Amino acid sequence: MIAVIDYKAGNIGSVKNALERLGVKYVVTSDAKQIRAADGVIFPGQGRAGPAMKELQAMGLDNLIPDLEQPFLGICLGMQLLAEVSAEDNTVCLAIIPGTCRQFPRGMKLPQLGWNKVNFQQESPLTRGIKSEEYFYFLNSYYFDAGPASVIGVTDYGLSFPSIVQKDNFFAVQFHPEKSGKAGEQLLRNFCEVSQCL
Amino acid sequence: MFVIPAIDIKDGKCVRLFQGDYSQVTTYDDDPVKIASEFEQQGAELIHIVDLDGAKARAPVNKRAILKLAKSVNVSLEVGGGIRTYEAASEYLQKGIQRILLGTAAIENPKLIQRLITEFGDDRIVVAVDIKNGEFATDGWTKSGGKSVKDSITLLKQLGIKNVLVTDVSKDGVLGGPNFALTQQLIDAGFQTIGAGGVTTIDDCVEFNKRGAYGAVVGKALYENKLDFTTAQAAVASRNLLAKRIIPCLDVKDGKVVKGTNFTNLRVVGDPVELAKKYAESGADELVFLDIAATLEDRKTLAQVVRRIAEVIAIPFSVGGGISSLDDIRELLIAGADKASIGSAAVLQPDFVQQAVEYFGSQCIVISVDAKKRADSWQVYIKGGTEATGVDAIDFCRHMEKLGVGELLINSLDRDGMNTGFDIDLLQAVTAAVNIPVIASSGGGAKQDFLDVFKNTNVDAALGASIFHYKNVAPTDLKAHLAKKGIGVRI
Repeated sequence: MIAVIDYKAGNIGSVKNALERLGVKYVVTSDAKQIRAADGVIFPGQGRAGPAMKELQAMGLDNLIPDLEQPFLGICLGMQLLAEVSAEDNTVCLAIIPGTCRQFPRGMKLPQLGWNKVNFQQESPLTRGIKSEEYFYFLNSYYFDAGPASVIGVTDYGLSFPSIVQKDNFFAVQFHPEKSGKAGEQLLRNFCEVSQCL
Repeated sequence: MFVIPAIDIKDGKCVRLFQGDYSQVTTYDDDPVKIASEFEQQGAELIHIVDLDGAKARAPVNKRAILKLAKSVNVSLEVGGGIRTYEAASEYLQKGIQRILLGTAAIENPKLIQRLITEFGDDRIVVAVDIKNGEFATDGWTKSGGKSVKDSITLLKQLGIKNVLVTDVSKDGVLGGPNFALTQQLIDAGFQTIGAGGVTTIDDCVEFNKRGAYGAVVGKALYENKLDFTTAQAAVASRNLLAKRIIPCLDVKDGKVVKGTNFTNLRVVGDPVELAKKYAESGADELVFLDIAATLEDRKTLAQVVRRIAEVIAIPFSVGGGISSLDDIRELLIAGADKASIGSAAVLQPDFVQQAVEYFGSQCIVISVDAKKRADSWQVYIKGGTEATGVDAIDFCRHMEKLGVGELLINSLDRDGMNTGFDIDLLQAVTAAVNIPVIASSGGGAKQDFLDVFKNTNVDAALGASIFHYKNVAPTDLKAHLAKKGIGVRI
């Protein structure tokens, strides 16, 4: 069973639909017990870092998430919240992966909206069966400047930024795999396999 | 980010000081014009010029040399040094200088700053924040102004300053690397910030870019060949490698996909869910659904259709047609649409656009603009292209960008359904006016039309209907053609 964390940050409908298409059992929840008991946890997110962290704190999830031991996948804002701090609303985040979230350089169209390439830097079970330089769908104005040790894939938008990271059981992607066609579907399938749900 | 070469002028010559000390001068060339031309040839887009004598004398001294320079090169110039009066500032701004730098004047004469911003715009006024030992330095860096960095930030905010140039004087001309933390303070405070002082290596430039600086001024390192301008600029250039998107558009009426010419003579093309699936699997990057009847009854059908589409496709899609309330948008987003496309309501109720952006976020809001050529300009039409509004289309696009919308979908009523190619002039005008993604629509009937629009305009995406519905060109065929011709698409 995959737990999709519901913390009122954006539309999780497309993540649900993607899991339906994969035929994976999942539950959408903010309940600590259900999250702890799941085989894998997906942490989606849209919107701003400040309000999202407040919501997590109100739900007591800010203490729960860093302690999770099963495979965990942060998506978009769900990736950025794993950082130590974010320049967006000057937010103290979950500090699961070392690094800071910064805004893209001046002069770039913001948000970054569209299909961009991911260049693999290290092997990871998350990217099995996907070729380097594959396109994924991005929608973000901030990026997670994570320490090099955790960087699995990078993308170029005004500068080279980490678009896939991993530290222990914590995986995270800046793009939206649920909106990234076949490549995105493969990545979600890999995550479900790592979680032993497929 | 811009890498900005510096030319410091003393006694009409191009010099560098060591740590701002007027007694430690190195002369690099007698002719600043020659130096500026070299930077121009290397591709500089902005040159930073300081009248060192002027800074000390509290009035421009090398004005003639600087104005001569402005006439001699075709690069924007940013000039500072001794500009402390309205007359000195306005003369530069009226005689070919793009931006002026004010330092001491900002602290001593806030009214001057406000007057200049009102008359010339906040993009042309830059405040030089020179920091010496943690304090605002004045008079050509020879005195400390007694204001802390924090106090200076508060003051500049109050004055409505947008652009700052921050220099740690103790780092200047030393080639020891810049003070990034200081620059970061100004960036975080929301200023468009240029970092200066001690910029020595490509890594210094890359670090400024990473921290969100607008530019980095480089002086001594260029003159002493420690840094190559072209390489540095390339390392921090805006690289937008996003794939150009191909978007099939499906006009929906009574739950069926239809297509007509100039919004009339509609023919049924097929089932939206089946077509959505077919296009998503054959290379479409995104889909647009337009509810062309947009009646209340139709909207209920539409929400059901949207729900079914969201279940079967794994690419983004937007839905539009008659959207005029936050509830309309909410219903579509809940059903699974990624974006809502607003048409007539954006013209009739700009407040609604603003509310929609605040409520759902920029990324969810697309504005669909129906434009038609009228003499030398384009006018916005509403209600399915039947009603002229008298609103200039380019002004309207700018206004929508200001309201924070995420994307513009530009329909040309002169080209809709004609399959005679996109309206290149219109799309060039729109993309030049705004810095948000633009989708070209109307007129794309053949592969060549899509190639033309990507080659000749700066659009991010192009939308097509009949090419996909009738001509049996799959999005993936079209994209293979574009890729062969050098357009970056997702294959």
